Amino acid sequence: MFALLPTLPYASPEKPGCGGIAILATTLTARARADGPAAFRDASFEIPCGCRAALIGPNGSGKSTLLRVLAGLTPAESGTVLIGDSSPRTGRRHIAYLSQRPHLTAYFPLKLRRLVQMGTYAHHGWLEECFHGDHAVDLALERMGLTDLADRAVHTLSGGQLQRGLIARAIVQGAEILLLDEPYAALDQSSREIIDRFLFSQRQHFTVLMATHDPADLARFDRVLEMRNHTVITQKACEGHDHRHA
Amino acid sequence: MTTAMLETLREPLGEPFFVRALTAVVISGVTCACLGAYVVLRRMAFVSTALTHSILPGVVAAMLLGWSPYLGALGAALLTAAGAAWLASRRDTSEDSAVGVMLSVMFAAGIALMQQANSWRDFAGLLFGSVVSVGPEDLIVIGLTAAVVLIGLRLLHKELELASFDEEYAHLLGARPGLMRVVLLALVALGAVSCVRLVGALLTTALFVIPAATGVLLGRTLPQVMAWGSACAVAGGVVGLYLSYYFPAVPSGAGIVLCCALPYLAARLIAPRR
Repeated sequence: MFALLPTLPYASPEKPGCGGIAILATTLTARARADGPAAFRDASFEIPCGCRAALIGPNGSGKSTLLRVLAGLTPAESGTVLIGDSSPRTGRRHIAYLSQRPHLTAYFPLKLRRLVQMGTYAHHGWLEECFHGDHAVDLALERMGLTDLADRAVHTLSGGQLQRGLIARAIVQGAEILLLDEPYAALDQSSREIIDRFLFSQRQHFTVLMATHDPADLARFDRVLEMRNHTVITQKACEGHDHRHA
Repeated sequence: MTTAMLETLREPLGEPFFVRALTAVVISGVTCACLGAYVVLRRMAFVSTALTHSILPGVVAAMLLGWSPYLGALGAALLTAAGAAWLASRRDTSEDSAVGVMLSVMFAAGIALMQQANSWRDFAGLLFGSVVSVGPEDLIVIGLTAAVVLIGLRLLHKELELASFDEEYAHLLGARPGLMRVVLLALVALGAVSCVRLVGALLTTALFVIPAATGVLLGRTLPQVMAWGSACAVAGGVVGLYLSYYFPAVPSGAGIVLCCALPYLAARLIAPRR
């Protein structure tokens, strides 16, 4: 039935290449809720391709809102954002966003393998069934140390296992920019080590922007953005890592 | 003993009305159970109740105007879905209360229209179902709506599953979770129209909720939930139909719903606690 149907992508194709800058924000202002106060004003910063950037600031400083604006999930009130060559909107297969508290439907009958396979939907579209991608799913599960749990129901996983599953989904998606909202919150040491090994491996060619509260963490990042006085201040800049985007 | 049982099963099959009713129950049971999986998992039972109850004014108005009752039913269900969506679009109105308003208004309009028709008895079948009066043309409508619903669910399976499980990720990929919700409401309206003849406007929601709730207790994946739900709906429907054939005091609609509830209770007792 599916073979006879036309291929309809979820969104129009993206422009390739990022010209060295993965994320460029200029005088950006946004609100967490449409009727609330501005979470930040006139924020300007850039993150080069391949950079591991941390986003710090106290609770309520607007870190989550900034990540959601970059992901295209919350509209900016003013200012511009360029992700690669174009403005943020949904349907961008090269961006993955991990929320602090993923809003997943409770007790949904879904095995972990199917959750990870959902990453392949980014490369399909409407009216197309995805039977392939099994190898990529297996590899991603293995990298996140989840091979033995592939057939477990998602609602029986621990918080750390679920978080690793969601990162495995981003791997399968082939995301080049990872926006992570406090991924280490409520993680045990082993889950944390597995995610660390993946995110900070020099062999990985993606760009990371991670909201974090852990000051001991910051030394590992190439760049630190701080949310202070309702804007973004770049504390430590890196030159980018072109080799990661070879 | 065995011969007597076989005869008990075989005897009603000699009646054309019973065969038509059996066919309708099986088709509608599978359709409602598959749709019901989403209704139950997305906690849309109240919306489905509103859609099925609102069929009443649509059918009565269509009968008064001499139109097809199915068109009236579908129009009323779609109007309810659109009205609830419009009312809930304001930040200060929850979807729950918007649906409640539409349900009450439509049902009250139905009762007022029934008064206009001056004959409540004609509408008893509409309220409580009259599976024995399923005619060949009803079977065609039930078959067509079932085909549209099942093909729609199959074609949009991965998007509906994704939007139901993780709405934010669906949004991120561009898989339009808002549109998927509208599609699902339209399919529920179609499914409700197809089974109003069997169990009536008041009980149609039971066919969406009870078999699917059984499926959720027993299945580990969405297709398994749909398969268990369908099995429960078909078994309950067939047993309920035989029950009302041999015990005319039990109305067919009520018999079907009660027989669907038995597998749910059994599953509730034996399914592992999660």
